[in-house]
Amino acid sequence: MKLTPLTNRLAQPGRASMELDPLLLWPALGLLLFGLVMVYSASIAIAEAGKSTGYAATYYLMRHGVFLTVGLVAGVVVFQIPVRLWQRLAPWLFVIGVLLLALVLIPHVGRSVNGAQRWIPLMVVNLQPSELMKLFVVLYAADYTTRKLDDMDSFRHGFVPMATVMMLVGGLLLREPDFGAFVVIICIAMGILFLGGINARLFSILFAVLLVAFAFLILTSPYRRERLFGFMDPWQDAFGKGYQLSHALIAFGRGEWMGVGLGASVEKLFYLPEAHTDFLLAVVAEELGAVGVIAVIVLFALVVQRSFAIGRQALALERVYGGLAAQGIGIWLGVQSFINMGVNMGLLPTKGLTLPMMSFGGSGILANCIALAILLRVDWENRQMMRGRKV
Amino acid sequence: MRFSSSPVLSQAVPAWRSRFVLLMLLLGFATLAGRTIYLQGFRNDFLRGKGEARYERVLEISSTRGRILDRHGDVLAVSTPVKSIWAIPEDARLQPADVRQLARLLEMDVRELDRRLASDKDFVYIKRQISPEVAEQVEALKLPGIHEQQEYRRYYPSGDVTSHVLGFTGVEDAGQEGVELAFNSLLVGKPGSRRVIRDRRGNIVEDVESIRAPLDGKDVTLALDSKIQYLAYSNLRQAIEQNRARAGGIVVLDVRTGEVLALANLPTYNPNNREHLTGGQLRNRAFTDTFEPGSTLKPFTAALALEKGHYRYDTVIQTAPGRMSIGPAVIHDAHLHGALTVAQVIQKSSNVGAAKIALSMPPELMWDMFDSLGFGTPLKLGFPGEVGGRLRPWKKWQPIEQATMAYGHGISVTLIQLARAYLAFARDGDLVPLSLLRLDTPPISGKPVFSAQTAKEVRSMLEMVVEPGGTAPKARVPGYRTAGKTGTAHKLEGGAYVNKYVASFVGLAPASDPRLVVAVMIDEPTGGSYYGGDVAAPVFSRVMAGALRTLGIPFDAPQKPAGTPEIPAAPEEM
Repeated sequence: MKLTPLTNRLAQPGRASMELDPLLLWPALGLLLFGLVMVYSASIAIAEAGKSTGYAATYYLMRHGVFLTVGLVAGVVVFQIPVRLWQRLAPWLFVIGVLLLALVLIPHVGRSVNGAQRWIPLMVVNLQPSELMKLFVVLYAADYTTRKLDDMDSFRHGFVPMATVMMLVGGLLLREPDFGAFVVIICIAMGILFLGGINARLFSILFAVLLVAFAFLILTSPYRRERLFGFMDPWQDAFGKGYQLSHALIAFGRGEWMGVGLGASVEKLFYLPEAHTDFLLAVVAEELGAVGVIAVIVLFALVVQRSFAIGRQALALERVYGGLAAQGIGIWLGVQSFINMGVNMGLLPTKGLTLPMMSFGGSGILANCIALAILLRVDWENRQMMRGRKV
Repeated sequence: MRFSSSPVLSQAVPAWRSRFVLLMLLLGFATLAGRTIYLQGFRNDFLRGKGEARYERVLEISSTRGRILDRHGDVLAVSTPVKSIWAIPEDARLQPADVRQLARLLEMDVRELDRRLASDKDFVYIKRQISPEVAEQVEALKLPGIHEQQEYRRYYPSGDVTSHVLGFTGVEDAGQEGVELAFNSLLVGKPGSRRVIRDRRGNIVEDVESIRAPLDGKDVTLALDSKIQYLAYSNLRQAIEQNRARAGGIVVLDVRTGEVLALANLPTYNPNNREHLTGGQLRNRAFTDTFEPGSTLKPFTAALALEKGHYRYDTVIQTAPGRMSIGPAVIHDAHLHGALTVAQVIQKSSNVGAAKIALSMPPELMWDMFDSLGFGTPLKLGFPGEVGGRLRPWKKWQPIEQATMAYGHGISVTLIQLARAYLAFARDGDLVPLSLLRLDTPPISGKPVFSAQTAKEVRSMLEMVVEPGGTAPKARVPGYRTAGKTGTAHKLEGGAYVNKYVASFVGLAPASDPRLVVAVMIDEPTGGSYYGGDVAAPVFSRVMAGALRTLGIPFDAPQKPAGTPEIPAAPEEM
């Protein structure tokens, strides 16, 4: 296959809207670029004051810019890959993901930050396997479900194999610990199974069981319980467990409707920890107000809505794998952004998840860009098929 | 693009599930939008308040302490901006190389710096009051946890010349001695305050509002004349060195206004460097130390005799045989004088003559005079440790006390009291309060003590003291008619008189229309002569001459032709 669909499209701007879904492309690009601006704004103070950043104000901006470039280039490359190839690669990618998750737990191989061993140092950048794993789980769960469409009513043949594999992955994630990624991956896997038509009664029971399991996990780990109590009432222990959330909420309050102005956040001046990663939305809220936050929510909602629309269309064209993968990506981006924003607003316990497409982080941005490229590819193949072309 | 009608697919991958999941996600987003509207539109006041509590601070803006100026506006004390370096030890985790560099900049011992940074307090001073240049270099190091604050340091350009008048301030900018203390309430400003937002490291990132503007302290203009002050100080210092004296003091007063034009004590100190300060250096002796004035009190006895007794200028008193018994005690004259007029008693400084005059008057009258001259009561100019001296109630006086008080023993005064009392002679008999501040409207008349006639007569007696045959020809001021009186008093130690002396001279000039009173006191001169006429009078002469010239006061006497031989001093009283 020739490696030129996108470049062709760019060379023929009149037809571009017919080939690439603008309602997905522009909101996604908007989020990526807005993320770059906000990462710079949120990180400028800590970058300027930090020894590890060499006191360079643009330290995080530069790195995030490089990540974005790499991500966009990767996206262009990925867009060339036919969806059926992804289906064939999915099990292998999944195995690679599991191996990486195991690798990160090996002392001296994985790097630990703030008590969580989530990174593998690779020369100049750190690889975060859990970010890639989210993508691999989408691809694998879609493949699994496609292959087992006929077994979806069977507990033993439809659900148990998937659940077993996910328990393995989940176990590895909880060892890091990365509870946030664990929740996202379980949501993706279960969501795709649900969309694939798994027995509804069975699913409800499982849902209840999972709920109990979550409660159990939270109550047995002091680390997770601490985070939960901080979330219940941040003002109770505002300078201890509730410190981070209370500052995030103050950022929201200070922003009011229109915000204090881009760059004028006070919370990012060493008060709010992780302002450029997990709590980026709080900086958006302070600097750009409710208007800025709602704009972010709307853009995410658009991306998610398009993912599902593309997925449903693929299913309508009897392209089950592409349809499930597209919707899986929608679940991933939807769930993760919902959790992250919910955490920022004090609706959910703090659990260390980044805001997809916006937060600082190389692995996350790369995985997001690849996922968006796959979405666009599914859509592109849909359009090709509807024109009666062969894909 | 409707859903496929394929029966297998529609059964296995039901479209409602996709719509259901999407709906759940969109509901989630809607919840987020609702939450953000609630937080940012309705909870904003509460949350803002929480934020303000965390990073808004009310800062004091220091106000500048007022300057102290001399009567011509020359600066005697001024506050200059300096910086103090402080640290939050918890934040200040420095590399050894950084610590060494900081210690070198601040000229501190590395171990001392390490010790301070190891403190478990939240706030420690590293070094206070360093120059802005050094502070800038420290700031350029950008060390975490090391901060600086603006302070003021008091600087005294005239150093030890004015130290006792001015006093000094403590590190918190509060007056501790001298004028700095006496006029502290005028000099201190009112610090202002403003509300600011600070980042977590203490840097101010936003000015919210100014609550109160700082109010700088007011300048204080002293009566002091820098030139006369320097003259007084340097001549006193020279005399103390020459006579190897323990201490000394000098006061220059403006006769017409009661202003203190100069005041110095020795030993003294440099107010700009008070590291090795002793109590002796700190003493503002003119205000805090009393001494028995000796013969400098005789003119007051004579004045009272002229005023209240049956004496005239030329009433003759027999002082032979040079001693006089009162009960068991005996009063001596150092030299035999025979019959003396009242004027000559002063000129020759006869103890017996003064005692005889005193005993002829009721003690109550003498006490009244001493009291109205201000003896026994502190002047209350606001200096710390001011004393009033000793003046016993007249009802308890023994005749011997009354007799010795006539020539300045059994009574004690401070130098400033003594100088002020002479104002009564210099000003036609009345006394004005002293003023450390320059007066724009001088008092027209003071409290009368003597009549103008008496004052005039005593002045002419005092003029005889510096003439040939008097006790202090060395006090003469060329070109001016000079009047004054010597004092040479045994010191009292443990209730007994010892062979240590206080030599003094108090005088005024020009005698025809007095403008200045200068009082000099030299404590324990040991360089040969200890007479007031030898030790204190030359200081008086030089200071008075310089001061009169500085003020541009016209001559009232023909200047002594050059080459006139030195006039020998008359033998002095004891």
